[in-house]
Order: sequence, then C-alpha cells, then structure tokens
Amino acid sequence: MMKRTLLLSLVLTFIASAVFAETVTVITKENAIREYAKFFAPVKANVRYGDRLEAFATEGDWYKVKYGPSIGYIHRSAVEKRVVASPASYSRKGSSVSESEAALAGKGFNPQVEASYKKQHPEMKFYLVDSVERYPVPDRDVVQFIVAGGLRQP
Amino acid sequence: MMKKYVLLFCCVLLVSTLISCDTSNFGNISQHIGTAMTVADATSKAARPISEEEEYYVGRAVAAKILGSYQLSTDAVLTRYVNLVGKTVALNSDKPFTYGGYHFAILETNEINAFAAPGGTIFITHGMIRTTASEDELAAVIAHEVAHIAKRDGISAIKSARWTQAATIIGTTAAKNYTSGEVSQLVGLFEGSIDDIFKTLVVNGYSRSQEYSADEGALQTLAKCGYDPRALSSFLKRLEQRGRSSGGGIMQTHPGTADRIENISGKMPSSGQIHPRAIEARMARFSGAVR
Repeated sequence: MMKRTLLLSLVLTFIASAVFAETVTVITKENAIREYAKFFAPVKANVRYGDRLEAFATEGDWYKVKYGPSIGYIHRSAVEKRVVASPASYSRKGSSVSESEAALAGKGFNPQVEASYKKQHPEMKFYLVDSVERYPVPDRDVVQFIVAGGLRQP
Repeated sequence: MMKKYVLLFCCVLLVSTLISCDTSNFGNISQHIGTAMTVADATSKAARPISEEEEYYVGRAVAAKILGSYQLSTDAVLTRYVNLVGKTVALNSDKPFTYGGYHFAILETNEINAFAAPGGTIFITHGMIRTTASEDELAAVIAHEVAHIAKRDGISAIKSARWTQAATIIGTTAAKNYTSGEVSQLVGLFEGSIDDIFKTLVVNGYSRSQEYSADEGALQTLAKCGYDPRALSSFLKRLEQRGRSSGGGIMQTHPGTADRIENISGKMPSSGQIHPRAIEARMARFSGAVR
C-alpha cells in the first residue's frame, strides 16, 4: 500500500510538471539563464540562438526555465514558442556554391544574403557597423552607472 | 500511522511541486506563453513575416547605409556615456533583448537627429546630444528610439509588395530547392527593404501615430529607469525653440513638436521622488561627457 502511494505521488508529480511546462526557443544570438528574475542576477547557464528550454513558470516578465541540469530565469523577450533553425545550419558546407546559397536563402534575410549584398556594394561600411556592435559595455559598468545615478536596477 | 505519514508526505511533495511550477500565477504558464505568443504573432503579421534574426541583418545594412551618409564619432568619453545611458534605458524598455542586442553610436554632425536601425543599433547625432540639457533628457531621446525598435517601426516601413514577393520565393518550398536565381531575388528584396527603411528614417519619417506611440513608450521606460519622464517634455520644448531657427533633421522627419508635447502632456507616469544627490550625480557626469 505504501509503495503504491509513493508511486502514485511520483506519477502525479511528473504529470503536474508536464502539464505546466512549455518549450520555448532562444531567439537572441546569446543569452543567459539567471539565478533569479533580474537582469544582473548571477548566470547559471549560457544559451544561444535556437536552444530549446523548458518553461514551467512565470515571474513577472521572466520565465522560470530548465536547460539541461540548470534551472533559472530568462526574460520573455529572449525566447519564443516557435522553433528556430540553429545557426549551425548556416555554416553548413555544401559541395557547391548554389547548394550553400540555397540553404541560407531558405531562412530569408541571413548572413549569406548579407554577404551577397556586401559583394554588390563594397562601398557600404559594414566594418563600422561591426565596430559599433563590438563596443564593450560590461554588466558591472552598467550596474555601477545605475547605482551612482540613483536609478532603479531592472 | 506510518501509512498516514507517507500519504501526508506525498501530498506535501505534490503541492510543493505544483507551487514551484509557478511562483506568481499558479498554473497559468501555458496561458501566459500562449497569450504572449498570440500578441507577438499578431504584431509580426501586421508588420510582415520576418524573424528577429532577419530583422537584425536588415538593421545592420540600414546602419551601414547611415554610416555612409554620416561620420561616426571618435569621442571615446561621450560614446561610453551614451552607451551606459542607452543600456540602462533598453533594459527597462518593453523589449530588453533583441537578436543582436542594443548598440549606441554617435554621428559627428550638427544636425539634430537620431535614428533607430531595426534590430537595435541606435545612432544619435552630436547636434542632438548638444540640444539635451541633462542626462534625463538624453535618456528621453534614447528611450524614444528604443521604443521604435521595440515596436518594430523600421521593419513596418518595408513596402508590403516586397513581402508578397519574399513569400513567393521563400514560400513553402524546402530551402534546399532554391535556385541561385531565387537567392539573387532575395538579395534584391533585401536591398529594396533597406532603401524603404532608410528613406523613412532619414527623409520621410514615421507616421504621426508611430511617433506619438514611441513618445508614450519612452515616458513609461523613463519612469521605470528612475529618470524623470517630464524630461521628454522639457527636451521637446527646447527642440521646438531650436527647430524654429534650424529646420531640417528631426524637424523634417517628425510631426510638429508642439503636437508631440500636447500628446504626452496628460500621460506623464508617476516616477517617484528623485533624490537631489542623484540629480547632482547625473548632472556631473552629463557635464563631464557632453563637452
């Protein structure tokens, strides 16, 4: 009787978790699972575009998620319910140029469309865009800035 | 007796599991995600079908085109300061994360303007920065641009005919079946999309309702940050005075400043009391960076 009750409880526990869970996909190049629902909370795991997470709770604008062995929080703007292609598919090396192009074109506007566009427009200053994107703004500097200016930590 | 304890233990285990499933809205995760996705899907359909990743690549090309028309500032102190204000604002916006993140850069021109390239790169001119009188006002300008990105206004500037064409190319065919000709057509659509957005950002401007909506979004973001939302109003008043004499730039691409001031006048959110020491600290670093 005792064993049966234990088994029943385990089954119910499993069902409860399954019923409330949803799979969400990371839609940013890279992001982090945080220890609690704050932008500057300690990082429990790093995730990348296309990674699938199991969301099983919400806390404000954050989802409580499971990714591998890690459980933590990710902001809702960093994930979507749909499945997205992994970036690995973009770097797939086809045996011919046309195959490679086709693989990328299937994703609409993507790195290869940009590459073709760059070839046609060498005057476009993409190297400056790269430098703007690479400009480092460490989290700790943002936190210090917020605190020193009497602003609210998000 | 033992059985009772086991049963009790099992109940506690089940209840605790259910509670851990949702710390705020028990059992509503599906509904929450579903609702969020429905809204996101509706927005996506209204603007046209484009993923966050595609938006990023379109935005990079728009940014490259802007940098073909304006010179990038090399002022290290000001660039760092604008990035810190920008990151603070973006994190408090409706959309703290985009595919490639938010980036902020200064354009070396006296023209008073700011541009939000789709996906998260924001350009603000030196002329615009010099028109602001405080960090809160600079944050207001940036919050307005971040709102355009969060609402995907840039992407909505792409002519709908291009999406019809793109849908025909991308369609339902498997990616591996695309021909080089179709790839070439996609590049053509990419170029056309960039031109549509660039023209809207630099020449024609967004619609009046998009500008009003970005102003309203900026007020909420400023209040969330702890900045004074009234800074947007004070900045617009100064802009109106400057605009009368200068013209061009933002005056050309934005609706009448007096109308924007009137639109936000009754919509100021409560931001709480700002400590005088915080005001002093912000003014000191603003003065140090904006020389």
